[in-house]
Amino acid sequence: MLATLLRHDWRSLSADASIWVVIGVFAAAIGYGTINGARWVAFQQDAISEARAEERERLERHETAIVRINRENATISAFADPRNPDAVGRSLGARYVVLPPTPLAPLAVGQSDLLPSYFKITTDARETVLAATEIENPHRLLTGRFDLAFVLIYLYPLLILALTYNLLSSEKEQGTLVLALSQPISLRTLVAAKVLLRFTVFLAAVVGLALLASLIIGVDLGAPGVLPRLAFWAAAVAGYGLFWFAAAVAVSALGKPSATNAMVLAGVWLALVVLVPSLLSMAATAIYPVPSRVEMIQATRVASDEANAEGSKLLAQYYEDHPELVTGDAQQAMNDFNLVRVAVAAEVERRVRPVLDRYSQQLTAQQQIVARARFLSPAILMQDALNDIAGTGAARHRAFVQQVEQYHERWRAHFVRLIFEKARLEDYSGLPRFAFEDEETGAVSRRVAGSLAGVAVPTVLLAVFAFVRLRRYPLVG
Amino acid sequence: MLEAVHLTKHYNGVTALEDLTLRVNPGDVFCLLGANGAGKTTTINLFLNFVQPSSGTARINGLDVTEQSLETKKYLAYIPETVMLYKNLTGLENLEYFSALAGRSDCTRVQLLDFLKQVGLQPEAADQRVGTYSKGMRQKVGIAIALAKNARALLLDEPTSGLDPKAANEFSALLARLSQDGVAVLMATHDLFRAKESGTRVGIMRQGKLVRTLETTEVGHADLERIYLEHMHD
Repeated sequence: MLATLLRHDWRSLSADASIWVVIGVFAAAIGYGTINGARWVAFQQDAISEARAEERERLERHETAIVRINRENATISAFADPRNPDAVGRSLGARYVVLPPTPLAPLAVGQSDLLPSYFKITTDARETVLAATEIENPHRLLTGRFDLAFVLIYLYPLLILALTYNLLSSEKEQGTLVLALSQPISLRTLVAAKVLLRFTVFLAAVVGLALLASLIIGVDLGAPGVLPRLAFWAAAVAGYGLFWFAAAVAVSALGKPSATNAMVLAGVWLALVVLVPSLLSMAATAIYPVPSRVEMIQATRVASDEANAEGSKLLAQYYEDHPELVTGDAQQAMNDFNLVRVAVAAEVERRVRPVLDRYSQQLTAQQQIVARARFLSPAILMQDALNDIAGTGAARHRAFVQQVEQYHERWRAHFVRLIFEKARLEDYSGLPRFAFEDEETGAVSRRVAGSLAGVAVPTVLLAVFAFVRLRRYPLVG
Repeated sequence: MLEAVHLTKHYNGVTALEDLTLRVNPGDVFCLLGANGAGKTTTINLFLNFVQPSSGTARINGLDVTEQSLETKKYLAYIPETVMLYKNLTGLENLEYFSALAGRSDCTRVQLLDFLKQVGLQPEAADQRVGTYSKGMRQKVGIAIALAKNARALLLDEPTSGLDPKAANEFSALLARLSQDGVAVLMATHDLFRAKESGTRVGIMRQGKLVRTLETTEVGHADLERIYLEHMHD
């Protein structure tokens, strides 16, 4: 019986030109989105390799210069001296730290176009090195880049609704429903078969096309973790699709005319995919506003003016706080510009700290609101899941920033020690190195599973509602 | 075969059918006559379980249609006033689909074409899209669907409206044949002539009530019309 229904439904669907137009448009969107994602990742990788080349070339140049200066016993300004730890830590030896894109990064650009994927590490203050990042991102939430994730979150539901909104109402309106139901078949079976067919066609089309597009842009399926992530990706596409099918069937089950169904479902789409995400981000920023950048810069300036004025006093204090750094003649050290600078920088940071803390507290509070309220919209959950799978989400970036902060601390401690020891660098092999420790697959899976569960719950509720309500579907009148 | 026992249906306080008790035995062709809104279609919809009775029961082959809806539909064929089919599919494809739903997925193309021939559809129309069909042609496909199902009870809601006289006549002949084969037929119609011609019994309905039942052999055409009009006037 199911086979009969499926065969017939496919026959009627495929005899209608509209499904081919829909699938054609969709295929084009998927292809375009995937290529866009791939272009973005390529752009990122170019930037990363340019940065790395620049770093390698610069370090080599300065190391060569060290050899030359030593050989010629040349005099050189302290700022440009590649042996001076202050100059090296501040600029000459600066290193780039990189968040490498995962093999599946082209599938979802996510926030990677707003959150920097590399930083240049120097001994400057942390907030200078890591230009503070905000979660608020209404542009992405409202429109976003035209990547595969965009196609899946925005267009995929529309296409599902386009083929499902009149699932029953059209048959009722054209009069075929009564003839079908005068046969020994229940309305629920009929609906289930229709949904099953459309779902299978869509899932096969989406997953097939996206896989094809990924292979064309050169995603390495053999890379570690790619296949399980792709499985999660397919599960996300299936789960999100089912939500929209459930919504369409639930609305259909009310027995309203096709036009009403279309209006209601368009409204649901607009609310869940467009309004809730942007309202949520507006609410988060309204409830927990971050201090303005101007205020932060102002505070930094005032603090550094005051600290500079107290230069030597601060150094004395710094020595008190860091007795381990006391070496040799303290009086002479008091006049050492480099040392004073370290002490002043530490003081500036201490004074700016409260502003920065408030900033990050507010950001954390915003993130917590969004983390809870995201369950209001399957679109946000889907975006989170896709970003997590592609490694372009906020969580992975936070982990990266945390590691960068630790590295920055190490970097500074390393140079402060060298500065106080008045060491001279003969080569750069001892500079601290950075390697990003990627998240465990388990952590990613748990987050994705959480998001998908958030989509599954309303799906089940809608399906149950539809199932119950179909019993009372008005066939006549 | 078809049995209504104190069958009553109210729609939002309006009585569409009141206390209908009726029995259509195998071989009977029972014609329901009456004006629009007399309850003929409601009766048929109740037998199809498309609407729920307010009280009373409708039985097919002894089974309550609300309790064993799917089971009862195995014995049942239905031809609505306007047979609507899938426009994108051919007549043959429509017949194939509905027959398969009816459990006759074993029908071969030759058999299906034969059903279409029996109901008088032009052979060349079988492979044309239904979108190009006239109402009469669709009606014929509807009858073919009922024939293919080999049903033991037939519910007809003004099936001949829109058929040309020749097709209507062929339809009557078909009904006579089905009746001989022991099919129980319940037909709602406005057509007194057709009712007298093909029916074994007629029932006159008015405002949801079955007010008169007659054996067609007892009355002539003129009598039937007179009796019908009498009931409509008082």
